[in-house]
Amino acid sequence: MRIWRPKKLLPPAATAVMFVAAMALLLFGSVEGTRAALTYYSETYASRVQMYDIGVSLLENGERVSWRDYNSSADGTWDENTGVLLAHMLEEGESLKLGKTYPEQLSVANSGTINQYVRVTIYKYWTDAEGTKLPNLSPELIRLNLVNLDTDWILDEEASTPERTVLYYNKLLYAEGEGVSETPLFADAITVDAMVATKVHQKVEESGGYTTITTTYDYDGTQFRIEAKVDAVQEHNAKDAVLSAWGKNVTVSNNMLSLD
Amino acid sequence: MKKKSSILAVLVLAAVLTAGIGKAWAYFTTFAEAAGGYTIELGDRTEITEKFDQWVKHVVITADEDSKEPVYIRARAFCGSAYTVEYSDASGKWTPGEKGYYYYSDILNAGGSTDELLVRIGNIPKDAKEGDSFHVVVVYESAPVRYQEDGTPYADWDEVLDSVRMEGGGES
Repeated sequence: MRIWRPKKLLPPAATAVMFVAAMALLLFGSVEGTRAALTYYSETYASRVQMYDIGVSLLENGERVSWRDYNSSADGTWDENTGVLLAHMLEEGESLKLGKTYPEQLSVANSGTINQYVRVTIYKYWTDAEGTKLPNLSPELIRLNLVNLDTDWILDEEASTPERTVLYYNKLLYAEGEGVSETPLFADAITVDAMVATKVHQKVEESGGYTTITTTYDYDGTQFRIEAKVDAVQEHNAKDAVLSAWGKNVTVSNNMLSLD
Repeated sequence: MKKKSSILAVLVLAAVLTAGIGKAWAYFTTFAEAAGGYTIELGDRTEITEKFDQWVKHVVITADEDSKEPVYIRARAFCGSAYTVEYSDASGKWTPGEKGYYYYSDILNAGGSTDELLVRIGNIPKDAKEGDSFHVVVVYESAPVRYQEDGTPYADWDEVLDSVRMEGGGES
């Protein structure tokens, strides 16, 4: 019967190779740190991964219309949905009334498990029937009524144009159960200015002693569009996170955010 | 040998401690977006129909089936000083208003028609006979329906178009 005996210890060179391999594993293993924080216990040196799920939702008239939530319990997938704005603005069979103000209440909710800072970018523009943007038509005739400016939302005037509006929520938006997890409204109504019906091109033709004037409405057949995009970034290292993710210098102090 | 082991142990510990640094360089972010809109339809087309019977003009204005915007209607008659005109209607929807016009109270949608406006021509010469000519012209105007912020409809009869004029060629 053959008895197994332990071999001699590995030579120093082999130990070094093993060490380098262990270091490589350790370093590459930390790549997951983008979504996971490593915690460890001094007694056993066992490590455990604690997942943080970030998620944000856009609310329209109190309903969640779009969201994108990280789901660590489902193998790191994203639960997401991109909805349609203004889908219920008109009753069935109702046509758009120029000049009338329609309710359009927009806000943001934290649908993740970590606190976050958020910003909103709103685009207003016109397209033709094929969806091609018409830059010569005025976004200012699409009047989205912004609310709670200065008290809750900061208008980034440097980044805003007639077509684009950038708003920053000036407070920490807490995860559900941690504090206030839904922002006050940043918009409450939308109106298409009746001026769109006065913008025309007129073609004058003289023929047979008659003058014929053909009037074409500039906005006839066009579509007005509203886009709202919500960005969220983690609470920790928020200043650096905002700069890295959004390219904006901000000051974060006492859970309040202000633009530099 | 012991010294080397100690150095290795320190290195390993340092590596473990700095493993989480990566999260300081990559941040938790997410976003959500939505878009929507509606098509604008502008332009209206209306026609007038007149029937003449017993010195009364029966006036009806109709919006074409393909007319895109609902409209308000007003109408009036012009005549020489030799005649007079008198307005009436059975429905009570035509009422006198500014600038001598009679205003139809209902909004005219695509394919819809007004009730009759009766324009009675008066002061007819006693010796008038069939074949004599007279000039009584009925003029009507339409104004696309506009809305106040609360949705109340109104007509802007003085709406001025912001027009870009393009001259076209033609023969005289």
